Amino acid sequence: MNTYKIIEIKESVFSNNDRQADLLREELKNKKTFLLNLMSSPGSGKTTTVLRTIEALKDEMKIGVMEADIDSDVDASLVAKTGAKVIQLHTGGMCHLDADMTKQGIDALEADGLDLVILENVGNLVCPAEFDTGSSKNAMILSVPEGDDKPLKYPLMFSVVDVLLINKIDAMCIFDFDIEKVKERVKKLNPNIKVIPISAKTGEGFDEWIDWLKKEVKAWKE
Amino acid sequence: MHELGVIIEVVKYVEDFAKKNKLTKIDTLVLQIGELSAMIPRYIEACYPAAVDGTMLQDTKLKIEILPANAICKECSNVFNVIQNDKVCPNCKSEVWELLCGKEFMIKEIVAY
Repeated sequence: MNTYKIIEIKESVFSNNDRQADLLREELKNKKTFLLNLMSSPGSGKTTTVLRTIEALKDEMKIGVMEADIDSDVDASLVAKTGAKVIQLHTGGMCHLDADMTKQGIDALEADGLDLVILENVGNLVCPAEFDTGSSKNAMILSVPEGDDKPLKYPLMFSVVDVLLINKIDAMCIFDFDIEKVKERVKKLNPNIKVIPISAKTGEGFDEWIDWLKKEVKAWKE
Repeated sequence: MHELGVIIEVVKYVEDFAKKNKLTKIDTLVLQIGELSAMIPRYIEACYPAAVDGTMLQDTKLKIEILPANAICKECSNVFNVIQNDKVCPNCKSEVWELLCGKEFMIKEIVAY
């Protein structure tokens, strides 16, 4: 009487997330809102970079920020002081944001009319790289004290980003950090990646970074 | 540790699939996991009982098939496992290759009544 059957499903578990991400991207395209997904390790200077980026662009763009952390709102309260629209997302222990959580954040931020939304992803070089958030472009920060071997250890992250900011270059003289080696290693993983050395503390390199961002926001709106 | 969140999505998907196809009992759930996937089979197995608790998959057996991280060499077209060969083609020692499989995380099939 055992009439069982094998039903083939062949469904990629990530395809659901990819679909939601595509829907969110389309929604943002219609709203003319550019979403930058910013990823890095904890302590690489994401928030300082965001603060200086807002400072440079706030006269010409309406900017929103989504701060994703496992807990606390220390980053959100810092960003709020700049006058940018900000919300704090708590992932509740999850180590990454997926497209659905990002969509909830965009809704909560009431992103209509914003030109640029920066998503400060959870500080982690592993799984944020695996999940498409629905962003227009992906950026990551690698800071000098972390070392030039990170592209070897976390190759996926370096292969999914459009732009790599190398932060804390003002501290280069006290670390054994070979920037040429980093460039060589990331270009091997991702030939189209743009590498911009910056210091979020002194502002060095920010002209190039801000130019890149402005150009991308403009292109997104066309 | 993100396996639990992901496996809960899998369970939801299979429950939905079962409802749509009017299945009453699912005997086995078969997943395919690539060697280079961010999902660790041992952790999937560990959190599976928690994820299915109270769902129609509560008594469903879990089977995991591992897919090898195979690549084809761009120089000599040799197919080899990138993990076992330390990302270098064992035939011609080239480091230029294209991944054929190994990053999958798929619901392959279910055995149902």
